[in-house]
Parts: sequence; structure tokens; C-alpha cells
Amino acid sequence: MRRPHFIDGLALALCVTAGSVWAAPTLIGKDAPDFVLKSLDGPNLRLSEFRGQVVLVSFWARWASDSREELPALDRIYTTYRHAGLVVLGVSVDEDARRARDFAGAMKVRYPILLDTDPDIGRDYQLERMPVTVLVDRAGVVRYTNVGFKRGDERAYLDQIRELLRE
Amino acid sequence: MGFFMNFKHRTASVTLRGGLLACAWAAAGAWHSVAFAGAPPAAPPAVVAQTPAATVPAAPDGTSGATSETPPADFKTLDQEVQGMKKDVIELNKDLFVLQEELLFPSNTQVAIYVSMDVGTFFALDSVTLKIDNKEVKNYLYTAREADALLKGGVQELYLGNLKVGKHELVAFFSGKGPMERDYKRGATLTFAKTVGAKYLELKITDRVTKHQPEFKIKDWE
Repeated sequence: MRRPHFIDGLALALCVTAGSVWAAPTLIGKDAPDFVLKSLDGPNLRLSEFRGQVVLVSFWARWASDSREELPALDRIYTTYRHAGLVVLGVSVDEDARRARDFAGAMKVRYPILLDTDPDIGRDYQLERMPVTVLVDRAGVVRYTNVGFKRGDERAYLDQIRELLRE
Repeated sequence: MGFFMNFKHRTASVTLRGGLLACAWAAAGAWHSVAFAGAPPAAPPAVVAQTPAATVPAAPDGTSGATSETPPADFKTLDQEVQGMKKDVIELNKDLFVLQEELLFPSNTQVAIYVSMDVGTFFALDSVTLKIDNKEVKNYLYTAREADALLKGGVQELYLGNLKVGKHELVAFFSGKGPMERDYKRGATLTFAKTVGAKYLELKITDRVTKHQPEFKIKDWE
């Protein structure tokens, strides 16, 4: 007896769904993977050393057009909330450190820019698109992740940041 | 065989301790929910039902005496239990750490490399790269806080791995800021013989005062 086609289709759909769920596990609610990276200004910075503060980690790339909009928006948020305990770490995934430095300089960001020289970080944070922002609470737990950036998204960021700063 | 017996014994010990701890935590959790849930249980312990004012008499000078009150006996016992559990957790953690080391890095093949720093006037450490037999095994970036800890006398376990018995070459590259704030990169090499038993090596950064230069050495702890 032949099996109906729709059963094959259903099985295939289930496999695809299961595969995609497996391939994109969320970081939310888990401890933020720790990293230590060299900053453009010189010192090395380790994420876990900011435990006790709210940390926004922004993964960006020069070639990602959304990053051009996101960096200045994050700089405005940083200058407003840094005295309230917000730390912003910009992590450039560009391979060319000099061009990343030039780009960050042109954007005039005041928060530390780190150079991603560790291949594990992209895997740990499941970076598939740029830019990605990860909000880490005072206990070092990932609370929000945002992929991509469009004008107006900073309002959502502000809500998330204010919530974490109040905790 | 001896190792496996030891392992089995340890596993049993750890499982037993884990079980005891789980029971203890469950008991503590149950008490916590009783004491802090707000609604008293059907048969609450006497201490929880009483208010502190009822148990502590007023001081002769007219003050309430609340500051000098001694905790009831039940609280004391509970505090002792919590302290005991904390001690158990620390002990369990130690056992698990030792077990992990024994399993992952058996003493016959174990190689541990440590970093220490003395003085550090002529060198600010930024990173260390380790190569064993021409293969990079570790690249570590130091934050200002970690470098400070080394300067204060801390010793860091930089690498723990396994090596076969025989001759091996260790190369360590140190980079940072040298005299006059200049970028500084130096290497140190050691050829060592790995015998049966754990091998401990120490990367030592010291100041050579006469030359106003840092000095990098690898010490083989026999």
C-alpha cells in the first residue's frame, strides 16, 4: 500500500521545523558567554568584569548598513544612561582592524569599541546577521537580543534598558 | 584498576553527598516557604507564631530591648544547618573539581603551566601566547584587573593539558608595554622532558633592574 504524499510532506515539514529550532537556540535567560577582547583604545576588556552593571553588547560590522544607523543611536543612549550604570561595548566583527577603527572614529562613538579576534564569540552568540545587540542584566544573564536595526528601534532598546536599570 | 575503584568510590561519595544536600535543600526550602509565605501553616512552629516583642522583655531603662535580643534556639539551629550545608557545598565542589581533573587530566599525562609576575616596573602585561611543539595551545588577553592581581602576587593557571612522555618544546610569547611605554614583545623557550607524573611549569616575569628591562623565564618545577 502506498503512503499518501501529504504524510511525507508533513514528516518533511516537522523535520525542517525541528531542525530550525535546534539550529537557533535562544540565549535569553542564560549566562552571557564571557569574552575578553582588545579595545581600540588599548586595554583589554572582559565582559564578566562588568557584573553588577547593565551591559549592552553591540556586535556590528562596517559592511552592514544597519550598523551605520545603530552606532550613533547607541552612543546617544550611552551618554544618557552611563551614569545610571549602563555599559555599552561595541564589538566589531570586521577583519580589518584599521578600517574598523576609522569607521568607529567617523561615527564618533564614545563607548569602547572592541575587535573580535576570537572565533568562538560568533559561535557563542549565534551571530548570523549584523548588527546584533545583546542586553545583559546585572547578574550577567542575557535578557534581550535584537537582530538588525531600523530607525525607531532605539525606543525599544530604551524600554529594555530602563527595565534592567530599575532592577 | 585502582584508579577506577577510586573513581567509583568518589562517584558514590559525591552522589551520596548530592542526595543529602538535595534533601537538606528541600527541607530548607520547605521551611523558607513556611516562614515567609505570610499565611501560617496549620501547626506552625512556636517561634514563627510568636512576635519578637512578646518574647523579649523591655529593658530596665525603658528602651524596647529589640537591639540586644538573642535569636531563638530554633533560628540558631537553622543557621547552623545552613552553615553546615554551605560547608558541604564547598566540599562537594572541591571533590568535583578534583574528580574532573583526575578524569580529564590524568596525572600521568598532565601538564600545567602557571604565570607569575614579580615587580613589573618595566613591563605591563597585555597577552601571553603559548606554543607546545609548535602548536598554539593558548592565547590569553589580560585585563587591567588581572594584570594587577598578578602584580599583587597572584599566580594564574594559564594552561592545563595532556602530553605524552618524552621531550617537548614550550615557547611563550609575552606582549605588552615595555620601558618608556613602548610596545614590547618577547619570547621564552624551554625544552623539557615529560616523565610519568604531572609536570608543572611556571612562566615568570621579573624586572632586571641593572638593564632596566623585563626578564622572562620558564621554570620547570621538578
